Amino acid sequence: MTKESMLEINRLSHGFSATPLWTIDHLQWSGQDMVHLLGDNGSGKTTLLRILAGLDAPRQGSVHWHIEKQWQLPPCPAQVIYLHQMPYMFDTSVFDNLRLAARWHGLGRRDSQMRVGRMLHWCGLEQQGRQRARSLSGGERLRLALARAWLLQPRVLLLDEPTANLDAQAIADVDSLVADLVRAGCAVILSAHHASVLTERCQRRWQLCDGLLWESTTNAPFVAERLLR
Amino acid sequence: MPELLDSTRAALILLVSLDPDLWEIIGVSFRVSLTAMALAIPPALLIALALARLAFPGRWLLISLANTLMAVPTVVVGLMLFMLLSRSGPLGEWRLLFTQPAMVIGQWLLAIPLLIAMLHAALQGVDQRAWETARLHGAGRVAALWRLLGEARFGVMAAIVASFGRIIAEVGSAVMVGGNIEHFTRNITTAIALETLKGEYAQGIALGLVLLVLALILNLMLGILRGRGQQTLSS
Repeated sequence: MTKESMLEINRLSHGFSATPLWTIDHLQWSGQDMVHLLGDNGSGKTTLLRILAGLDAPRQGSVHWHIEKQWQLPPCPAQVIYLHQMPYMFDTSVFDNLRLAARWHGLGRRDSQMRVGRMLHWCGLEQQGRQRARSLSGGERLRLALARAWLLQPRVLLLDEPTANLDAQAIADVDSLVADLVRAGCAVILSAHHASVLTERCQRRWQLCDGLLWESTTNAPFVAERLLR
Repeated sequence: MPELLDSTRAALILLVSLDPDLWEIIGVSFRVSLTAMALAIPPALLIALALARLAFPGRWLLISLANTLMAVPTVVVGLMLFMLLSRSGPLGEWRLLFTQPAMVIGQWLLAIPLLIAMLHAALQGVDQRAWETARLHGAGRVAALWRLLGEARFGVMAAIVASFGRIIAEVGSAVMVGGNIEHFTRNITTAIALETLKGEYAQGIALGLVLLVLALILNLMLGILRGRGQQTLSS
């Protein structure tokens, strides 16, 4: 395994029937480039992300993350965080959703309050702090889920179809949060069906097609242009 | 009809005048049933959590067993316990027959399957994403399980309320292993049975009213919890 890469996949395959859904012989990722994971419905995008997060075990092969100067097998709690397509909101207030994560992270009362306050401000939900998290709109839920994850300062975020069912404004809001995360050094892999400002931000493409993963870089000058604008 | 009215009036007077015998009987009922609940909730929770979260051989057998045992008549539990605790029975040396601990054991046996089945249903209903989200956000196994309980809290409380309602109102096991001994093992339901047989309706009606009010309170609580539960699902 090379020191520079953050993720190494070897002879990985998975599927729900006799024939594997996909097979990835070897893949390295430095974590520097934001990745857009593409593929048709049923091509196994979610399955791949869940395996990378350690939520499912692969049928064959291995996944290793290079986190905190050592190679680790997933799951890497609080370091590699997967956000479901519909992020789960705990049945409490917006504030408590953040406070739970802070408590699990072992933050003291004062640190926790400070960081939760900062995260509420960051995701623009300061006014909704006391509201039940489940009463938030789709876009607000995603923003809260990003804030809840970012409160832990993970190294990697795996976003499963984050823009599905969101309107243009909500996507733009999420995009600006993701841009902050990337700037702060968080590596991001996101799966998305449709092109959006968020997918345009990605410098690398992983495409699941015919049971294989094809890797390419996106049009770098175009991305740069978008960023400058 | 006039007899019923007279008896009811006498029953209300017994209740409001804080008749010591009457309230002692009510005290026995609550002490026995609350002790049985306190002893039943922890193991039932652990078993229900295991059934909801872990895949192990025989899991479905255990769930079916809990569901089946829910329907066992209280006298059958009383009969089994009687045979176990009677002098010649395998646990006769414990000298527990016709004591409050024996009644607690009987009610514990009645509460456990209902608690397990209802708690399991409540915990099974929690979205898998709750567990995954908690674990990926750094929650240890215990913290994540605690969170699952928090997510299922309305179902958990409904299970506790329903089980308490079942055991405080049961008569079969209490009369068989308690023996209905005055000032000792006489509780609401066994007293009602005895007083009615003696033709003394006032105390029976008074105790019946207590059970009715309790049933009303428990059902109101269940209704409120169910209402909150629906709100959670639809939001």
